[in-house]
Amino acid sequence: MEIQRTQPGRDTKMSHHLPICGSKEEPLHAIGARFDTPDQLVAAVNRLRAEGYSAYECYTPYPVHGLAEAMRLPKSLLSFLVLGGGLTAILIALSMELVPSILIYPLIVDGKPLNLSALPQYVPIVVALTLMIGAIAAVKGMIILGGMPRLNNPMFAWDLFAKDASRGFFLAIEADDKKFTTAGVTELLHQLGAGDVTAIHLEEESK
Amino acid sequence: MSATTSNETAAPDLSAIARPPQVLNNRGPLWVTDAVCSIVEGKTPLWWYAAISVSGAFAAIGGACILYMIVTGVGVWGSNSPCFWAWDITNFIFWVSMAHAGSLISALLFLTRQKWSISISRAAEAMTVFAIVCAGVYPAIHIGRVWFVWFLFPVPNSYGMWPNFSSPLLWDVFAVTSYLTVSSLFWFAGMIPDLAVLRDRATTKIRKFAYGLVSLGWLGTARQWRHYEMMYVLLAGLTSVLVVTVTSIVASDCATSVVPGWHATIFPFYFMVGAVYSGSATILTLLIPLRAIYPQLKELITPSHLDKVCKLLLMMGSCVAYVYVFELFNAWYSANPFERGAFWERFTSSYSWYAITCLSINLTIPQLFWFKAVRRCLPLVVVLAILCNVGMWFERFMIVTTTLTRDFLPSSWGNFHATIVDILTATGTVGIFFTLFLLFIRFVPIINMSELKAALPGSQPHGDSAHSTGEGH
Repeated sequence: MEIQRTQPGRDTKMSHHLPICGSKEEPLHAIGARFDTPDQLVAAVNRLRAEGYSAYECYTPYPVHGLAEAMRLPKSLLSFLVLGGGLTAILIALSMELVPSILIYPLIVDGKPLNLSALPQYVPIVVALTLMIGAIAAVKGMIILGGMPRLNNPMFAWDLFAKDASRGFFLAIEADDKKFTTAGVTELLHQLGAGDVTAIHLEEESK
Repeated sequence: MSATTSNETAAPDLSAIARPPQVLNNRGPLWVTDAVCSIVEGKTPLWWYAAISVSGAFAAIGGACILYMIVTGVGVWGSNSPCFWAWDITNFIFWVSMAHAGSLISALLFLTRQKWSISISRAAEAMTVFAIVCAGVYPAIHIGRVWFVWFLFPVPNSYGMWPNFSSPLLWDVFAVTSYLTVSSLFWFAGMIPDLAVLRDRATTKIRKFAYGLVSLGWLGTARQWRHYEMMYVLLAGLTSVLVVTVTSIVASDCATSVVPGWHATIFPFYFMVGAVYSGSATILTLLIPLRAIYPQLKELITPSHLDKVCKLLLMMGSCVAYVYVFELFNAWYSANPFERGAFWERFTSSYSWYAITCLSINLTIPQLFWFKAVRRCLPLVVVLAILCNVGMWFERFMIVTTTLTRDFLPSSWGNFHATIVDILTATGTVGIFFTLFLLFIRFVPIINMSELKAALPGSQPHGDSAHSTGEGH
């Protein structure tokens, strides 16, 4: 099958029967659709995968179990980031405590030893810092891996989605997809029982 | 269960063993969104202005007292030899302990899949963060010369001085700092999807911009949820460990000293159970009036949810009672005259009424929650919960102040007298707490909508129905 690249001029012609949002002059970003139930969305994703689509995204108001598996998303890398953050924190905390206590500024109180035989007294700060830096890594990692922070998104051109995304389960098949044809995607989405199928064009950049 | 019932011809009646519904009246996800968002989106009610004026005034007076203390010196407090720790550390421990129940309810109950905690977790986390803020007022100012507070941190400096890493007081600095950081992150990160909902529904430009900024461009894509869910589990795990660590370290402030009455290995456990006890009481004190003000919350925070918090309070209250008995046993069994003396002095010195108030409240009030009629009578629950916190404040005072005024040498004994600055600073922290909580009610969804919606019956695909009925994983 031929790969059809989406050209702005050609697309507006082809998608004339679809409601359009964004700017008609700008390239097509995706074709969006709304489903009423998570079942429909998961079924749609299974079908898309079977048909060979790869550039699509699902938008749900809460985590839908089985959706990521249906999309064949890999396991989140976040746990490794947190492990890395925690291990780094252990090194930082230990050197922060041991270097001054043993080398630079040995502060002997009540004759208590400061060397490695007194390791337990250094543990509480290590634990506190490990947990803190691990948590920072978790939140920062989630934000960065999730493609955030981001001030705008082409999807916001679609009023139905932007006004209240919590009212449905949305699917957007992106124009970058190798199999993408406006007619084919529209037909497929209608077959899957999607509502509000809409062509989402990019918005004009404010100059 | 299913094996036996499937053989019966009539449909099995599972209602007796069914879990109580998460949301009453079979409400759907859209209703949940509207109900929670309407609190933030509606017109600011008059009571809110009145309440924040009062709490703000208390906070301002407290702030003025702190300023007065800084420019004058710690002499404006009643703390003096032999009692150098008095209301400052009493209140610090009181607040930082109260925080723990919030983390426990949101993190530990999340990890153990106790879905009933969803509707109260956001408010509990808020309570945690605000209580740590109140606690954080004291450590910095109680050192007297606030401009030397940086001595607490290992900062390379021209004096060549470093802090004493073997001191529990320094551990405390790190414990409280990381507790504030982690619980704020946990609270904020869990709020991102809900803030995005507010952004989408915003009608004015300012709200759209403000919520857009704090929701970081959240869209709810499957990829984002994948990372988000992983993050939430990890944060819940880290927070659960942190709660135990922080209380234990705060308890070590006392326990690692040789002061009779403090030098006990039960102290970390003592502080932990007292912490969750007072925190659960605070959650009840905050949420029950809130339900009365916003009737839609009655369907989200159900009597069954509050009932479970009451049971948590009962359990922790009983643990506290156990520790009181154990302290008595410890004083006797240690055969240490100073230990016995410290215990005796608690009940016979001029502070005896503190100990008697503390014991009479904490040994009796939580035990009333054995009765379902008490747990279901919400106005009574509020009164009892406030009493529990009063009891806990007296307990913190008894531990910190009474102990210090009666140490080894009778010649160095002395009494502590709170000054007006002590009192107004303490009420100031209460003002700060309620001011922050009122702002929280007004500007942030007070219930974790996304987590709640995901747990509603029928919200998950049918092939995955085990999740949707809340029957566990």
